[in-house]
Amino acid sequence: MVTVLLVIFGFVAGLLGALTGIGGGVLLTPVLALHFGVPIRQAIGTSLVAVITTSAASSSVHLQRHTTDIRLGMTLELATAMGAAVMAYLVGYFNRSVLEGLFAAFLLYSSFTILRSGGKLKSDKHAAAMTPNGEIPPYTPKRYPLGLSASLVAGGLSGLLGIGGGPIKVPVMFIFMDVPLIVATATSNFMIGVTAAASAIVYYRRGDIQPGIAAPLAVGVFVGSLLGARLAPRVHTKVVVYLLVAVMLYLAAHLSVHLLGEAL
Amino acid sequence: MSEMREPGFDRIVALVLRVGAFGCFVIMVGGLVAGLFLKGQVPLDIERAGVVLMLATPVVRVAVACFLFFREKDYRYGYVSLGVLLILLLGSVFGIGEH
Repeated sequence: MVTVLLVIFGFVAGLLGALTGIGGGVLLTPVLALHFGVPIRQAIGTSLVAVITTSAASSSVHLQRHTTDIRLGMTLELATAMGAAVMAYLVGYFNRSVLEGLFAAFLLYSSFTILRSGGKLKSDKHAAAMTPNGEIPPYTPKRYPLGLSASLVAGGLSGLLGIGGGPIKVPVMFIFMDVPLIVATATSNFMIGVTAAASAIVYYRRGDIQPGIAAPLAVGVFVGSLLGARLAPRVHTKVVVYLLVAVMLYLAAHLSVHLLGEAL
Repeated sequence: MSEMREPGFDRIVALVLRVGAFGCFVIMVGGLVAGLFLKGQVPLDIERAGVVLMLATPVVRVAVACFLFFREKDYRYGYVSLGVLLILLLGSVFGIGEH
């Protein structure tokens, strides 16, 4: 029964993630911890498996459209994988309350950022400008030291929270490194798999990934995100984004109450 | 840098990811279906195989790209890929924190 619920939950998270472009990883960890009674470290590890699955599937599509800069991605992966692996290792020494608190803070921060931008996640205007006739304008990635440092942090956050970190990697490449948005998006997706794997391997070795939870969840997320990617052009994204923010705020509140309940 | 990309390279890497993602999906579904009919360890072992293959897919992707870069004599990115591969493998050696 729990298995069925995990598939359904994964499906919904994958669907919302693909529709909004935010990535469903944000929902996976807290819902697993709060509603499925999974210890938070296992919830993070499990969420990473689902993140790898989605990244692999969507990245193969981007690669076939030749919008991924494999060389840039591989270079930044040096930093994201390092950050992710080290942080995943350190998480073994964090206690549960610290992780839950960090996650609640992260959910609040993300919700706030989305609300401030008026629910507009994808700058469609920019995306359109980048491909006037489906061609990628010539570019040279700039400011590698800055890009690598930011990638190290993005990798660390991924290993700490079990998220893909697309909303961090895309602006790093687009704004700091002068990479066209369409390439930045595809390359971020490409990097997410390796980044998540770098930390997931550490979680797995520690016994923080339970196949009985990870498999049904990944199956649901996989189907949900494939469907979401199909539906995305036809759905009014803004409504879905606000729905997602509402869920995120609820989860942040729930985590905080949970923490307070323990402290008192 | 963007003009240095060649279609064949992208296609091979895409194939690795697709085979990994869909292969693992099928194995995991197999494990879930087996769980409906079988009790005990077998369904869980199938699911574990799916999860482990999923974790291995990005590693294989880096290894394949590494091989392709060296075959093209693009040593700089060959070594970059090798570095990423090393980080991934180190994680699996030193990935034992407290339980």
